[in-house]
This record gives sequence, structure tokens and C-alpha cells, in this order.
Amino acid sequence: MKNTLDRRSFIKLSISASGALVAGLYFQSCNEIKTPAVEHVFSPLIKIDTDGWVTLVAKNPEIGQGIKTALPMILAEELGANWEKVRVVQADYDTAYADQWAGGSYAIILNWDEMRKAGAAVRQVLIEAASKKMNVPVSELSAKNSRVEHTSSNSSLAFEELIEEASKVQLPDEVEFKSIDSFEIVGKSIPQVDLEKLVRGETKFSLDTELPGMVYATVVKNPVFEGGVSSWDDTETRNINGVLDVIELDNKEYGGRLVDANSPNFVNGVGVIATSTWAALKGAEKLKVQWDNSATRRESQKEILERFQNQFRKTTIERKDGNIENARRRAADYVEAVYEVPYLAHVTMEPMNCTVDFRQDRCEVWAPTQNPEALQNGLIKLFGLQAEQIKIHMPRIGGGFGRRYYVDYAMDAAVLSKKMGKPVKLTWTREEDIKHDWYRSASMQQIAASLDVEGNVTGWRYVVANASRKTSLGREGNPAGTEIDEYDFPAGFVSNLQLEYGHVLSDVPLGQWRAVAQSANAFPVHSFLDELAAKYNMDPIDYFLRFLGPARMVPIVGDYELDLARLIEVINQVRALSNWDSPLPAGQGRGFAANKYSGTYIAEVVTVEMTGSEKVKILRVDAVVDCGIVVNRSGAKAQVEGGIIEGLCAALYGEITIKDGVAMQSNFHDYQWMRMGDAPPVNIEFVENKMPPRGLGEPPLPPAAPALANAIFAASGKRLRKLPLLKQL
Amino acid sequence: MPSYTLTINNDQKVVEVDSDTPLLWVLRDELALTGTKFGCGKALCGACTVHFNGKAIRACTLAVSSAVGGEITTIEGLSGDALHPVQKAWIELDVPQCGYCQSGQIMTAAELLSTNPNPSDREIDQAMAGNICRCGTYGRIRSAIKLAAEKLKSE
Repeated sequence: MKNTLDRRSFIKLSISASGALVAGLYFQSCNEIKTPAVEHVFSPLIKIDTDGWVTLVAKNPEIGQGIKTALPMILAEELGANWEKVRVVQADYDTAYADQWAGGSYAIILNWDEMRKAGAAVRQVLIEAASKKMNVPVSELSAKNSRVEHTSSNSSLAFEELIEEASKVQLPDEVEFKSIDSFEIVGKSIPQVDLEKLVRGETKFSLDTELPGMVYATVVKNPVFEGGVSSWDDTETRNINGVLDVIELDNKEYGGRLVDANSPNFVNGVGVIATSTWAALKGAEKLKVQWDNSATRRESQKEILERFQNQFRKTTIERKDGNIENARRRAADYVEAVYEVPYLAHVTMEPMNCTVDFRQDRCEVWAPTQNPEALQNGLIKLFGLQAEQIKIHMPRIGGGFGRRYYVDYAMDAAVLSKKMGKPVKLTWTREEDIKHDWYRSASMQQIAASLDVEGNVTGWRYVVANASRKTSLGREGNPAGTEIDEYDFPAGFVSNLQLEYGHVLSDVPLGQWRAVAQSANAFPVHSFLDELAAKYNMDPIDYFLRFLGPARMVPIVGDYELDLARLIEVINQVRALSNWDSPLPAGQGRGFAANKYSGTYIAEVVTVEMTGSEKVKILRVDAVVDCGIVVNRSGAKAQVEGGIIEGLCAALYGEITIKDGVAMQSNFHDYQWMRMGDAPPVNIEFVENKMPPRGLGEPPLPPAAPALANAIFAASGKRLRKLPLLKQL
Repeated sequence: MPSYTLTINNDQKVVEVDSDTPLLWVLRDELALTGTKFGCGKALCGACTVHFNGKAIRACTLAVSSAVGGEITTIEGLSGDALHPVQKAWIELDVPQCGYCQSGQIMTAAELLSTNPNPSDREIDQAMAGNICRCGTYGRIRSAIKLAAEKLKSE
């Protein structure tokens, strides 16, 4: 297969000062610079070192999704590198790399071809160099284990022996990918690159950043959403040993809260600077702040949810197929149900933090960010900096889940460092983290189905009503497609279908949370299908398969299709894996849900027991996944395990409640997270095929909540339409 | 500020900090032992777990003044060049995702196996209940504890 080096045609080769062959990228904005001799216009991706090692740059932020291992694996595969002698280094933020963010399960999708092209281009250069040195045709050479081999003469040259010759070779305009059947690294189970350092406690996360002359900070924020600071008394704070300063953080001084819709500004509050984290934390505790809540809405949960439900009557139509009214008139039966889904916090294990060294003419940042571009944009807008004055480092991140798509905490740190004229390491407490999150929106949802005498769905009306992250805090975004989408299941499967959105404005800060809208919407949709199965006394999987119909390409929107054969395959396989058709003892039950998300097909079965001392005990989860080619089997399994555990955990316990404009939860005692004893074993199988690899960070999460609720119904006959489930039992 | 002499990873360390400073911040800010993590500050999540006289404790709620005279072991001191069997098992099963909680998980698991070389699932549940893994690596942690138990038997 020939692949043109289009977007990456600016890959260039050079020899570094240390004698290594470096393949890297130009800054797109520096196209006029023709010679890649200057370090700062050249961003390395592959380095053939003189010591027999290959250095590969991991360009995306590592939040635990394994991308620091997966992308270099793809590079190494096409390059023909020996993985045992590959060093992986984390990139800083650098626009030359493109798509340097973590979100939407996109990293593999967006980078699969790009990493292959870069690896293949350098492989071809090395082969051409070897052809010259060995005096044999290129067609007789191949790259393997960091050597170019000439099989018929049983001779080979190591990559490092080819550096000088390779530097004279022109990069090809076209590259040929290896055949998938010949893969030796991709598809294997490769331990993640930082593994030994992690278990030795040596990995430096952002919060572990230490700089000479650094001071420590924490913040006290107005707990009321969008409130301000009126005045404060810091007498006791300044009496604390080590406290250096108390500094107001007023976002009005920096363009207001909505300086940028994609990188909203920091929350108003007060920063405490000290010679140690502990002194800053103690100082913060002693601070007496008068908050200004005159301009806040002081919303409360009950009233918000009522407004959501009232909006069922004032919706916009996001998708309309056929005529649901006609379907209802002709229906043998009509069923409707209302579901409620709560706000959720992210609670990344590493709390929000950022280290900034802000000097007159430059700003250097060490941040746990999924979105360095938004961070850079924020600094440009808040401080009038130029992009060239900003350097963003991306240390390993202690969890993301969407929270670190927003950069408010980094803006805190930048303001404090600028005011102090020193490097500042800012640490948020867990309490600030939970009270000032960008929450997954709560929602009220309604589904109504028209049915024929056999229980076939002839009409489907689905309404989601909530506040949207696109418009929260007065952002002037368009909520269409964010909370319910024209692509959403079961669009394409029911000829009379209407998807509607009831939009409500609110001051609760909302943001991305793993699987975004589907983290909420899969629960009503797949619970409702289970309700219909029960109503018509059908096995839930049989009912779902009948609902889907025969294997075919199902057009959803435009060219976007769902390959039903792949969905049916994962369902059939999970049926077998979970022993779905074998009887269970009384008090136990199995629940099922399946979806396509980010190009990945996944079916899950949850088995529960409801007769023991616990209200519900999850005995096991079975999952079958078709994500196309599995890049790293260990990392891919980890994503499925983690996505399912998170989905179950949120379904059982997850809930942020809001009263008078304040999130009522504050730490892990009142925002419960799943612990060892509650976590079920998860059995995972991948469907083996050669389709291009798709996302895995989010797809496993949405089916977990409905599969659990359906299992609870199967075990107990209790139909739960409201999350979190434990509160309903 | 008062001065305290602590025994950390078999080494004597003298620090000058306020008496109420939690051991966590002494380790991290004063001694650059950043393998011990801050997660909640209230002994709710276990990210800061260290050994104090062989027992797994939460460093975020142990004041430095109470830590004097005890033997403190952090993740950095759990093993020498050769890894502890728990760390080896963690590597074999590629346990971490984000990795932030794993120092604490490993320290708790190591203490469990030091007192109970053959823990049942229920005993693992109880011992590990104080350590949250936000990424959901519990299945691999459980398998790794069992694998480490096997390794300890053969050592």
C-alpha cells in the first residue's frame, strides 16, 4: 500500500550534535525556514542513536491511557526497530506535532496513519542507505530488530551503522506500509514504558516538579459557583510560619471567567504563598474571606432538575425520521419512561496542580494537562504573551477523565507566579478539586416507544433535557449535538424516530467527562430496551438482536455507517463468554448492553447477586470488544477494565448534589469511589480482525451502567430509572 | 522552627519544620521523596501510604512530631537494586494505568504480605480497602498480590 506523505511531508532528517540521525517535524508556521539546522524549528520524532538505541518521542499527554507506549509502538513497528532497545521520551507541547491532546478516544484514530508514515519513511531511508553501502537493490532489503537485513547473503547492518549514509538520502515522497500480517510489535502485549519507574515511585508527575527558588501555593475559592471576593482578613494566615504572601485571584482583572470558551478562566478566590505546601495549606485554613455572591444564581439540585423536566415540553428537534405521531396512532401499544442522571465529578487521583515559572519575557509551565493548546491560548489571552514566549512541559498525569481538558488551575498558578516573580508550585486541595470541577451534566431524560403487537418498535421519541457544557457559565456555544446527537443510538434503527433536546441555562460549571453525553445517555436508552424486552417476555439479548435486525451496513448520518455485523458479533461472543443462557441461582441476575462508540463495538454483561449482606454485589463483568487492530493488548485491556469499573462505580455511587450554588461533596468520604472489595473481575475478549484501530478510552464506559441496572432488574425485579443506583435500593 | 530527626529508609534525616507538619509534606517538600503522593489530605484515599514500624499508615495525617523514633519506609526504600516481590509482580502484570496511586497500593500490599503470606480474596479486600485506584486497576492489583505471594514463597 502506497501512502503519500501529505500532512507530514515536512518530515526532515538531520544529524544531531551527538551524531544521531534525527527525523523530525517542521513547525507548520515556519514553512519559510528551509534548513532544519536550528533546534527550535525542528521537533524530533525518531532518533537513531549511535549507541544502538532508538529514541522515539511520545507526543501526546499520558493520563494513564497508555498512549506514551502505544504511539511509539506504531513508530517502532514501521521503522523496524528492536523494541528492547527503544527509549521513549515525552514531548513538550510543540505545534509541530499536531493533535497533541488527550480526549474523545481519538489519539490512536488520529495518529495511526501518521505514526506509520513517519516510521516507514525513516525505514525506507535506512534501507536506501544500506542498499548503497551493501551494493544490493533496495527490493532485497528489509528492516528488523534495528538492523537492515539482506537475507540471501545473510548479511545485515545495524541502524547506527547507517546514520551517515542515511543523512545523505532524500526522504521519500511516498511510503509503503508493512503488511499487517508481518507486525511484530503492534498487537503484542507490551508493558508500559514507565513501568519500573512507576513501581519504584521514581516517575515525576506534575505535582512532583521541583525548581530552584520555587515557592508553594494553594488557593481558597468561593464555594458558590461564579461568586467573587469581597474582602478578607489574613492576619492569622500571615502569622503562620512560612507564609509569604496572600494574593487575590480576581478573574475580572484577566478578562473575566470566559476569556476563552475552550479554556475558561480561573474561579475567583485567594491564593496563599508559602515556603512549603503545608504552610500554604495551614495559611489557607486560617484565612477569613467575605465572599461576594450578589451576582450568583445560587441554584439548587431540586429546582435545577425541575427546570430540566419542564423543558421536556420546550425542545428543539435534533433529528426527525418518518413520523412518530403516525406511528403512535397506529401502535398496538405505547410505553414511556422518565430517567434521571446526576452530576458527576472527575476526582483525578492527582489533584489539580501546576508549576509555573513566569519571568518578564517568558512563561514556563509544568502542567497535568490533556489540552496544552488551551493552556497556551489561556496564557496568551490572560497575559498578552506570544506563543514563542510560552514553554509547556507535559509530565505524566495522575488521571484525566476529561477534567484536565480545562486549564483554570494552570491560570491560577500563572497569576501567582507572575505576582511573586518566582516559580510557584500550586496545589489544590481535594476539597477545592471537588467543589470546583467541570461536572458531567445532570439530566432528565424521557423515552417513549410505539410498538406493534409483537413488541417491535415502530416509533421512538427520545428527549434529553439539561444544561449543556457548551453554554454553562454563559458561554455562547451551541448546545446542539453535545447532550444528544443526531448520531445517537437508536438513530438508523427505527424508521419513525425523533431525538429532541430541552436546553436549560445554569451556572453549574459543566465539562467533558469520560464518554461525555454517552456517559449519561446510554443508561436510559439501554435500560428502556431492557424494559421492552421484559414487557414482551423476551430474553433481553434476543430482543435487542431482533431490534437491530439482520447484519448490514446501517446508514446513520451521511456517510457514517454502523457495521451491524460487527455489533452482532460482539453480542454473540459476550453471550457465550458470560454463559448468558445458563441458569443462575435465585437472587442473581445478568444484565446486558452494547454500543458503538468512537468506532469501537463493545458488548457487556454484568452479573449481580442481591441476596447477600450487600444491597447489590457485582459478581463479574464480561466484555467483548471489536476495536479493529489492538495496538497494545495489555494497554487496551487496561482501558476496557478501567472504563467498565468507572462506569459501574459512577452508576452505583457517583453523585454531586448542589445546594445554594455549592457542590455539597468535598472529599472521598462523601464522594464515594469504588474500592477493592466492590470491584468485580472483568473478563475481556477482543474480536480479532485487521480493521484500522479505533478508540478505547471511552467506549467501554457507557454500557456498564445500563448493564448493571438491567442485572439488578433480572435479579430482583426492581427497575431503577435513576442514578446513582445504590441510593434507590 | 523545631528540628526533628527521622529514620527514613534506614537513613537519619534532620528536618526543621513545624511540629504539626504531616510526614507526607516532610517527605515531599523537605526530602524530595516524591514517590509518596498527595491525594486527599484526610487519610481517605491511601495515595500517601508508607510503612511506620512495618505498618502501612497514611503519611498525610501523621504529624512529624509523632514520627520521631519510628522506622519509616517509603516506596523509594521498599527495595534496593533488586525489586521487592510486590514490585516484580506489579511489573509482570503491568498493573498501573495513570500510576499515581500505585506507590500507596504497593506499600499496603507489601505490608499485607509481610503479615499474611497467603491472603484470601476477602483478606485482600480488607487490607486494600483504604487505597483508591481511580483508574480501576483493582483486578490487576488483586492478581499481582497473589503473584507476589507466590514469589515470596519461592524466595
